[in-house]
Amino acid sequence: MNSHSVSYWQRSYSLNLKAVVALFGLLGLSQVTARSTEVPEAVFPDKHLALLKEHCFTCHNAEKQKGKFRLDDLGFSIKDNRSAERWQKVLNAVNSGDMPPEEEKQLPTNAKANFLDDLSKAVVVARRNLSDSRGIITMRRLNQREYGNTLEALLGMRMDVRELPADTMANNFDTTGSSLFLSGDQVEQYLDFGRAAVAEAFMRHDKAGTVLKKRFEGEDSISSIPNSLKERIEGHRKFMVWKREVDKAAEKPENRAAADAIRKELKNEAMAIYHRWDKIPGAPSPTEYGFTDAFHALHVGQGQWALVPYQAWFLSMPENRTGVWLTIGDNAVKSYFSFATHDCPPGDYVVRLRVAASDKVDARRRFIEFGLGAGNPFNHDSRHMVTGTLENPQIIEIPVTLHGNVVSYFLRERGSHDADAIEWVRFGLGATENGVGPDFAIWLDYAELEKLPVKAVAPGMRAIVPVLGDANTKVDAGALRSAFEAFSIEAFRGKKPSEPFLDRLIAIYDDHRQHGADHRAALKEVLALVLVSPRFLYLNEPTTAVRIAQQSIQTVDRISASDLASRLSFFLWGSPPDNELRELAASGALSNAEVLKKQTDRLLNDPRASNFIRPFLQQWLHMDRLDFFRFNAKRYPFFDVSTKEAARLEVYETFAHLLRENRSVGELLKADYAVVDGLLAVYYGLDGVVGDAFRPVKLPQNSPRGGLLGMAAVYAMGSNGEQTSPVERGAWVLRKILNESPPPAPANVPQLTRLEDKILTTRERLLMHQEQPQCASCHRRIDPIGFGLENFDTAGQWRSEDSYERAGLGKKSWLIDPSGAFYNGAAFGDFFVLRDLIHKRVDDFARGLSTALVEYALGHAAGFSDEALVDRMVSESKSQDLSARIFIHTLVQSREFQSK
Amino acid sequence: MNTRRHFLRSGTALVALPFLESFGFRRFAAAAVPAAPPKRMMFLGMGFGVTKETWFPDVKQTGADFALPQGLAPLARHKKDFTLIQGLSNRYSEDAHGGSTYWLTGANPHEAGASAHNSISADQVAAAAFGKETRFASLQLNGSDKDLSGPGHGAGLSLAWDNRGKPIAGINSPLAVFNRLFSAEQVPLDQLRLRMTQKRSLLDGVLLEAQDLQRGLAKNDADKLEEYFQSIREIEQRLAKEEQWQSLPKPKAPLTQPPDARSGVEEIKLMYDLMVAAFQTDSSRVLTYRLPISNLLSSLGVKVAAHDMSHYSPGERMEASQRRDVAHSELLAGLLDKLKAVQEPDGSSLFDHCSVVFGSNLSSVHNLTNCPTFIAGGGAGIKLGQHLVATKDTPLCNVWLTLLQGSGLQVERHGDSTGPLKALIA
Repeated sequence: MNSHSVSYWQRSYSLNLKAVVALFGLLGLSQVTARSTEVPEAVFPDKHLALLKEHCFTCHNAEKQKGKFRLDDLGFSIKDNRSAERWQKVLNAVNSGDMPPEEEKQLPTNAKANFLDDLSKAVVVARRNLSDSRGIITMRRLNQREYGNTLEALLGMRMDVRELPADTMANNFDTTGSSLFLSGDQVEQYLDFGRAAVAEAFMRHDKAGTVLKKRFEGEDSISSIPNSLKERIEGHRKFMVWKREVDKAAEKPENRAAADAIRKELKNEAMAIYHRWDKIPGAPSPTEYGFTDAFHALHVGQGQWALVPYQAWFLSMPENRTGVWLTIGDNAVKSYFSFATHDCPPGDYVVRLRVAASDKVDARRRFIEFGLGAGNPFNHDSRHMVTGTLENPQIIEIPVTLHGNVVSYFLRERGSHDADAIEWVRFGLGATENGVGPDFAIWLDYAELEKLPVKAVAPGMRAIVPVLGDANTKVDAGALRSAFEAFSIEAFRGKKPSEPFLDRLIAIYDDHRQHGADHRAALKEVLALVLVSPRFLYLNEPTTAVRIAQQSIQTVDRISASDLASRLSFFLWGSPPDNELRELAASGALSNAEVLKKQTDRLLNDPRASNFIRPFLQQWLHMDRLDFFRFNAKRYPFFDVSTKEAARLEVYETFAHLLRENRSVGELLKADYAVVDGLLAVYYGLDGVVGDAFRPVKLPQNSPRGGLLGMAAVYAMGSNGEQTSPVERGAWVLRKILNESPPPAPANVPQLTRLEDKILTTRERLLMHQEQPQCASCHRRIDPIGFGLENFDTAGQWRSEDSYERAGLGKKSWLIDPSGAFYNGAAFGDFFVLRDLIHKRVDDFARGLSTALVEYALGHAAGFSDEALVDRMVSESKSQDLSARIFIHTLVQSREFQSK
Repeated sequence: MNTRRHFLRSGTALVALPFLESFGFRRFAAAAVPAAPPKRMMFLGMGFGVTKETWFPDVKQTGADFALPQGLAPLARHKKDFTLIQGLSNRYSEDAHGGSTYWLTGANPHEAGASAHNSISADQVAAAAFGKETRFASLQLNGSDKDLSGPGHGAGLSLAWDNRGKPIAGINSPLAVFNRLFSAEQVPLDQLRLRMTQKRSLLDGVLLEAQDLQRGLAKNDADKLEEYFQSIREIEQRLAKEEQWQSLPKPKAPLTQPPDARSGVEEIKLMYDLMVAAFQTDSSRVLTYRLPISNLLSSLGVKVAAHDMSHYSPGERMEASQRRDVAHSELLAGLLDKLKAVQEPDGSSLFDHCSVVFGSNLSSVHNLTNCPTFIAGGGAGIKLGQHLVATKDTPLCNVWLTLLQGSGLQVERHGDSTGPLKALIA
C-alpha cells in the first residue's frame, strides 16, 4: 500500500485546508462523471392523456385546483421526487376509489385497469430510479451468518449465532448494507458473544488430546416400561371399580333425574356422568381410588388403557432385549431414544447409530430424525434413510459439535413428534391395519459418541497459543504484543492493527491483571475486544483516491487486492478469505483475470460454497414462507417436518448441482431429472434412490417433476398449509421466474362486495378479483398462471381433483381445469404446456437471476446503475448456453464488483 | 484515559458525551417523592387492523353518546375512560402490509429519494425527556411471532425508531422483560464500579481502532462508521446511567416471574402485567409493545393464517378477524383495570397519569386510511369517553403531537403533523 495515499474525504491534519477544499470540490465532480449519470425517466405512457383529460382535468387544472391538486401540468416522465409523489397520489386516489368522485362519470373498467397497471409500474420504476445506489458499494457490517462463519474460521468452532439479533429488514438480502444497522445493544451482545467464543476456544485447546468414547445401549433405555404396563393395568382396574360405584349411584331411582340432567347438559357424551360424579349423590370421589380428579381417572382408565395392547406387544418383541424398537406412541413404548453429553468437553465429535429398519413396514417409515434437545421438539437437525436390516444393521455417522454444556440428542422415527399431533394420525393409520398400533419400523442397537482428534489449529488460536499458558502464567510483554498483533491480523483479515491500538490492548491486559484477573481471564477480555473492533465487524474497504505524492488528482476507485479477496470469499463462502486467497492478494496475482477466475472456480468447488447457495436461494426465492404455515396433518400426514426440510434442500441442491457441473440455468425451468435424496424420492414415488445424499435422478417420461416448477417446496410455499393459493403461486412465478414483478399490493382498495357465503371453486372465488379494475390490473396477470399450477396440491403432490368444504354450507368437489392463457399472451391447456411456455422465457429468468446475484453480491438494491452489469451477465451467459458459472464469473470480473 | 471525548469528535458529526454523569456522580438516589406523579405513555401496536364493520362506532354518533360496537364490547366498563378517533391517517404510508413501521413516525419513506426512510417515533420523543428520571429511558416489547417483521407489522425491530430513524431492538419474551426489570445481579458495588471502568477502557480501545480505520474511508463508508461511533456512545450513555443507578438496587418485583414459553393470549396478558409493573416501580415511563398476530390467532384456536384473515370478507376469515378484535378488547380492558387499581403515592391511580394508545397504521383489510386509534388514561389531559370523527385525512401525527404536548413536552411538530387536534384536548 502506498503510505502517502489518503482518501479524498479524510480531513487530514497534514493537508492545508484550502487544498482539501479544492480537492474535494474537484473530486466531487469527477465522482459524478465517473459514476455518470442522471436519473433516467420513468415514463407513464401518454396514451392515458385522453382519459385524464376527460375525467380529471376539469377539476384539477390551473384555475380550479380542487383539493389543492393540479394534474394538467404533471409531466408523463417521472424524474424527481416531487413528481413521483404527485403521481403516487393519483395512483392512491384511483386505487381507493376516491377519484373520480362518486357523483362524477366513472372510468370504464378496462381503461381503468390499464391505467392503474401502467401507472403503478411507472411509479415503481421511478422510485427505484430515485433511490438508485449510483453503483456505490458502502461498507457494511458482517451479517449474522457471516459473523458466525468468520468466528469459525478464526477460532475453529461453530457457535450458535441465532441468539444474536436477526438483521434482515423485510424484502431484501441480508447483505444489503443500508439495512445492516448497529446499535449499542448489539455491540454489547457481540462483546459477550466474543468472550464466550474465546473461552470455548481456550477450553477446546486444553482438551484437544482428550480421548473419549461413550456408548448408550438401546435395551437400557426401556427398563421403566414393564413397570408402566403394570401401573396402567392396575390404574385401569381401579378406574373400573370407581366407574361401577358411580354407575350404581346413578342408577338409584332418586338419582335418575340428576344423571339425565348431566347427560343432557353434556350432549350425551359417553363419559358424562363420570365427569360430573359430584352432582350424583352417593357417588364416590375418584380421589378415593388414587386419582387426582375425574379427568385424571378417565385419562388413566380410557386414554392410557387404549395403548395397553400396543405396550404389551412392544414388550413381547425379542429385539428389545438386545436393542430397542423406536416407534410411534407415548411413553408406553419407546417413542424416542435420547442420550446426554455429561462430562464431554467442548470439541468435535461423531455420533454413531447402529440401526435397522423392519422390512414389514411402508418405505415412508424407514427414516429416522436426529437432533438436539429432549422431550418433544418439533424440529430436528438431520434425517437419515435406514437401509440396515435386523440381520445386518448399519452404522450411521453424524458429526456434532459440543460446547461443553450438557445437552441431549434424540433419535426417533421420522414424523413421530411433529406439529399438530401428526404422530396420532400415523398411529391411527397403523392401528387400522392390525387393530393394535403401527408395526415397529426402526430398531436401534446403540448410539455412540466419540470425540474426534483436532484437525488443524485455527489461525486465531495459532496466534495466541504461544502465550496461552494457564491461569497463572506470566508472559513477557514482547511475546504478548506479538501474539496480540498476530491475532488482530487474523481477525482483521490480513490488515495490521495500529501501534496505539496494540498499546491499548497491552494496557487493558495489564489493567485486568492488576485488578485481580488471572492471565487467561485478562487474555479473554483483550481478544473479545478485538472481536468487536470495526475492522472485524465491518467489511471495510479503505480506498485510495488521491495521490498527493504525484501532485495530481486521479480517482482510483478500484478496491485493493486484499479487499477483493474479502469480497470474493464473503460472496461465495460467506466467510473470510483463506490463506491461499490472502497470499494471492498479497502478491498482487489476484488482480490477474485468469487467476481471479481460477480462484472463483476453486471457491465454488469448495463445500463452503453452500454458505452462498443456501442463503442466496433462501432469500431470493422467499423460502421463509415454507415456515409460515403448519400443514394439516390429517390431510398431509407425510408432508411432515422431514419432508419439508428435504423439499427445501431440493431447491438448494439442484442449484448446487448446476453450479458444480456448470449446467444451464434453463434446467431450473424444465429438466428431465430431479435432484433428490432417498426421502424425497419416496415422496415423489421415484424408485431406487438409496441414502441421504442428494443426487440427480432421471425422471420417467411425462413426470411433472424436474426444475423449480416440479418441486414440492415451491408449491408448499404457494399454499397456507390447508389450501393452495393460486395467487401466491402466480405472483411467485411472475416475480422469480419471469422477472415481471407485479407492483406491491396497493393499499386502500375497497373490499369485494360479493359474499363469501357460497361454496365456490377456487377459480370462481378468484375470478371475483377481476370484477374490480383495481384488482384486475394485476390479477389478470397473476391468476391464470396460478390456475395452471392447480394440479399440485398444498403439499406439492400431483392431483386431478379439488374440493372445498364449509361447515353448514356443504362440500363441493371438482375436476381441476388448469387451462388458461398468459395475459395478452399464449394459451395453455395443461401444466405441461404452461411449463414449456415458461421455459421459453428462460432469458427473462436469466435476467431476474442476474439481478438477484448483483444485489446479493454488491449489497444494494439493483437500480439503473447496475443495468449495464446485468445486461453483460445475461449476454455473456447466453453466449455460453446459460451455464451457471458464467453468471458468477462475469459478475466477479466486472468493474462494479471490483470498485467501491 | 479521558481521551474518549477526543476520539468521538473525529467523526463527521460531533458526538456529545454525558459529561457530568461520569465517575462518582451520585444520583439523588432515593429522591424525595415527587410532588405530582410523573407522566407516562404506552403504545400498543396490533399490526393488521381491525374489522371495519364491527370495531368502529357509527360515524353519526359522535361525542360522549355513542354505542360500543361488538368488537369493543368487552371495554364497556371503561367507556368513560377512553376515546376513539376516526379519520386519521399517515399521509405518506403506502405499505399495505406494514401496520407498525410508520405508525408512530409518520415519515415519508421516499424522503430524499431513499427507498425506506424513517424518522423518530413518538415514544422516543417522550423517552428523550421522561427517560432521564428512570432506570430505563424506554422499553420495547415484541410479540413472539416468528414472522413478526413480515406481514402485519412491516419492517422494524419493534415499534420504536430512534432519532436517526433507525430501528430499535425489542425484547421478545415476558421472561426476558421480567429479568431486565427486576432480576438483580449480586455484585458488590466496588466490583461493579471496577467493571464499568474496565468497560470504558475497552470502549476506548475500539474507538482508537475505529478512528484509525476512519482515516482511510470514503465518505459513504465514513458515514456508515458513524453508526459505530453512535453505538459506542449509546453504551457510554447507558454506562453513565447504570452508574447513576448502581447504588440503587433494582425494585422488588410486584409480580411473580413469568413462565418461559407462552404465546398468544397468555403472552399478551403477561406483557401487560409487566408493563403495569414497569410503571408501578417507575422503572420506565415510556413503553411500546408490538403485539403478536399469528400466535394470538393460534391461541384462540383460529385456523386462518394472519394474512388471510386480514383479507377478510364475510365467512370464516371475518369471524377470525372479529375474534381477534374481541380478544384484544378483553385484554385491553384487563390492562386498564390494573392501571386503575395501582395507586400513586398521592392516592390517584397510575391510570390517571398515563396515556395508553392502542391501534395500527392499517385500518382494516389493507387500508391505510382511518387508522384505528384508541386512547385511554389521564396523562395527557385529553377528553375521555368520546368518539371523535376527524375530518378526512387528518394526520395521525396530530394525535401524537397532542399527546406529547399534553404530557408536558415542548414539541412543535411530529412527523407530518399540522398541529394538535383541538377536539381531543379537555
